[in-house]
Amino acid sequence: MNNANIVMDNLPLFIPLILLEVGLDLAALIHIFRHKNYRYGNRILWVLLTLFINPIGAILYFVIGRETY
Amino acid sequence: MISTWYFIRKEVMEAWRNYHILMITIVFVIFGISSPLFAKLTPEILKMASGSGMTIKMPDPTSVDSWQQYFKNIIQIGIYVLTVIFSSTISNEISRGTLVNLVAKGLPRYAIVLSKYIVAYAQWCLAVLIAFLISWGYTLYYFPDSKSPNVWTGVWPLLVFGLMFVAVTVFGSTLGKSNYLGFLASVIVFIILTLLNLFKDIKKYNPIALVTDNMSLVKGTENISHIMPAIWITIVLALVTVYLSVLVLKQKKL
Repeated sequence: MNNANIVMDNLPLFIPLILLEVGLDLAALIHIFRHKNYRYGNRILWVLLTLFINPIGAILYFVIGRETY
Repeated sequence: MISTWYFIRKEVMEAWRNYHILMITIVFVIFGISSPLFAKLTPEILKMASGSGMTIKMPDPTSVDSWQQYFKNIIQIGIYVLTVIFSSTISNEISRGTLVNLVAKGLPRYAIVLSKYIVAYAQWCLAVLIAFLISWGYTLYYFPDSKSPNVWTGVWPLLVFGLMFVAVTVFGSTLGKSNYLGFLASVIVFIILTLLNLFKDIKKYNPIALVTDNMSLVKGTENISHIMPAIWITIVLALVTVYLSVLVLKQKKL
């Protein structure tokens, strides 16, 4: 079985998973680029974390990286 | 008591406006979906990794594999996501001085701890149950076998363990102004419990049995009475920890 087959066989699992992860990452990235100051770290750190550690990076940004007023 | 109720409403509102509830929902929906997915994909991944020359005979994945992934996700990542979210619940308010007005106007300090604890625990239950329901649905659909008959028996100890774990996080959060103390406290407690598990005699009474013995409960090879002492000890520890947090907050300068 090749890769495409695996994805096609498990579509009911993959579609919601991909939608959620991409949605969360996009929300985090948009928030990162719209704000200049963060509670911890800088923009590069948060972009890298969000992109490469799924889905924990985006969650960490929203919980401890996002500046609160 | 009425002040506790109002503070609970404020806490729920805060969790909603901070997007905490939304994020917990998203993360645990992802966990719920990925558990049966990984159970299904593991044989394929192994096949790809081993190359074409070898043929590995893998048994077909069953519902047991799916639940194993579920408990692994919750216990190894999920509970730490939750403690990071709850970690600053009291220390944040102390460092920003937002409790001063409320306490001066007559809000009892036990109400603060109690309502923070209740709302955090409700979020814990929400997280575990969301992941459980989604994982359950997919597992029934993809692995319709009878190898894991007592699913619910394996899951509700997680909820009981949450009673103590959330209490420890809240307790750590009352200790200092740093937002990390809650997280640190719960990690330290988890490590201590894991180390205690090395001694055979206390295994039966160790609260960590609630999160390590789930698979044998799900498969039905073990009875719930086996971990009953651990359950009672967990509940008592939770009550003691909440009481200690109230005592600490009473001594604290806000």
